[in-house]
Amino acid sequence: MLLPDVPLQPLERGQLNAMRLNGAVFFAALAVGSAIPSYALGRSLDWLPVWAAPALLVLAGLWSVLIAAPRRWSRWGWAWTGRELHVAHGWLTRSHTIVPAIRVQHIDVTQGPVERMFGVATLVLHTAGTAHSEVHLPGVSRDTAETIRDAIREKLSSEPW
Amino acid sequence: MVDAGTPRRVHPGTMAVAFLRKAPQNVFAIPVFAGWMSGRGLDWALLIAGVAAAVALFFTWLNWRRFTYAVGPDELVVERGVFSLSRRSIPLERIQDVSIERKPLHRLFGLAEVRIETGGGDADEAVLDSVSLGEAARLRAALRGRHVAAHQAGDEATVTGPHVLPVVFAMTPGRVLLLGLFSFSLVWLAALFGIIQSLDQFVDLGWDQLRDYAGTAREQAQARFSVAAVLMVAGIAIALGVASGVVSTILRDWNFTLRAGEGRFRRTRGLLTRSEVVVAMRRVQLALVQRGPLRGWLGWNALSVQTLGGSNDPSGRQSLAPLAREDEVAQIVSMAGLPPFERLPLRSVDGGHVVRALLRTVPAPLIAIVAAAIFVTPLTLVGLVILPPLIVSALLQRRFHRFALLETSLQVMRGVIVQRDWIVPVDNVQVLTVRQGPLQRALGIASVAIDTAGAKGQGAPDVIDINLPDARELIAGLIAKLD
Repeated sequence: MLLPDVPLQPLERGQLNAMRLNGAVFFAALAVGSAIPSYALGRSLDWLPVWAAPALLVLAGLWSVLIAAPRRWSRWGWAWTGRELHVAHGWLTRSHTIVPAIRVQHIDVTQGPVERMFGVATLVLHTAGTAHSEVHLPGVSRDTAETIRDAIREKLSSEPW
Repeated sequence: MVDAGTPRRVHPGTMAVAFLRKAPQNVFAIPVFAGWMSGRGLDWALLIAGVAAAVALFFTWLNWRRFTYAVGPDELVVERGVFSLSRRSIPLERIQDVSIERKPLHRLFGLAEVRIETGGGDADEAVLDSVSLGEAARLRAALRGRHVAAHQAGDEATVTGPHVLPVVFAMTPGRVLLLGLFSFSLVWLAALFGIIQSLDQFVDLGWDQLRDYAGTAREQAQARFSVAAVLMVAGIAIALGVASGVVSTILRDWNFTLRAGEGRFRRTRGLLTRSEVVVAMRRVQLALVQRGPLRGWLGWNALSVQTLGGSNDPSGRQSLAPLAREDEVAQIVSMAGLPPFERLPLRSVDGGHVVRALLRTVPAPLIAIVAAAIFVTPLTLVGLVILPPLIVSALLQRRFHRFALLETSLQVMRGVIVQRDWIVPVDNVQVLTVRQGPLQRALGIASVAIDTAGAKGQGAPDVIDINLPDARELIAGLIAKLD
């Protein structure tokens, strides 16, 4: 907890499953893709079994789905205080980003196919800043995202910066 | 004079400038062309060259003809394109910088390049390349929502405008020279060698011969082990570095003049390329005072401001005073409507900053040197002499990294060799991020990144490695002031 004064809300459970699915698909693709080079290597080095690389990648995929995804998911948190949006995430390097509503230039609510499958959406805030001009809040329900969006929209000032 | 709203083209002289600007590229084509032409007659060569020039001229003319701009009552419309047409309209109230630049070719033809910057993502939203001087002055006035008499004579004087603002800072030739001496750089030397190398591919400079000479010279030198020769080479390198620093500074900052008034700064500078930049004071996002090595110890400061959107500077900031005394900087800062930089309330970051600075700077070179000593030659242990300065600089990091949240601004100071002071009005802070890596977690510290608009690259006013209570207090204070 970097800023304990701000009580954070966890993401939807659906986001955890979306992260798991993303990880599983990623490593499955890698495992399939590694089959040909692994076969070639297995032919030239007789001590190396053909299934070594895919098996390693399958293990990594299991680790990603069972351990890494829940750990990352539980590190995400958000809070809408009525004046600013807080987004915290990161397991190894933790970060907590604060976007004042009056600094927001425009707002997106996006929903990819995987997110739609699990009923979550991503709220994207754009500011005039440079390094963090886009702040993403994934894994909230579409209703929540739209509620926050409408709340921020009322705060948007006509003055652009 | 045409009505202000009608579309007009840029000056026809632009075609000549564009054609001449492309000429050097064509020169490089000559050897290729000559090789291909070998065995054919000269008249053929002339014919083909003539056709190529005609085609190039035609397209230059077409581009010129299709490029129009018009200043309406509340927008600037730029239309361009031969095959795919584009029409861009920029609301006048969004225009924040209008800069006028005159490269040597432009000066030859009495032209000026006008850049219009609005603070969007692109560096330059609209570039009018090029218009006559009188037109440039008229445009600038019109884009600022004011009209000057259209019959301005197109002489040098109109670039500075009809009503001249008071000068708030100017560089005397002596000061430009001093800045040049401080700008000692070997980068230019490297660039020079790079150019020689690349030219070598086109033109035989006898580089191989030179290398042979150098080889012989080295053998001779090794035979005699002449310290004098080594010193001479080093001396030549330093002299070239100083000379290139002086020359580039004189070219850039000659006759540097900063004027202020009516809510804007106007900066003119340059020896061959005269450039003029207007910075609206209310668009200033933050002020940055830098003190480089040596010049900082002698009490010289460089002041630049970060504005929204484009600037010609690669850093994304506009230099307002490249070499100034502290009181001169303070005067310009207060003129920009920013609070003064105050040293007294500044508070140091956590002691963990020193630990991280040491871990960041020392181990990598140490390991590299020791490894080289083991595997290559023990002579490389001499390289260990670079470690004490690195360690001293790391130990001093904390002393020079301080911050304070004042009434209306966040003030941050950072850097040992190049010292930087930031003045960030709280109203210009866009996004705050608290970040904590594993080492920082072990030390109980965190970094606070302050995101502002318009900054590019390095040099954000981040507060690195403060203890958690301080970080929380800083964040809470900033949030309370954001309204």
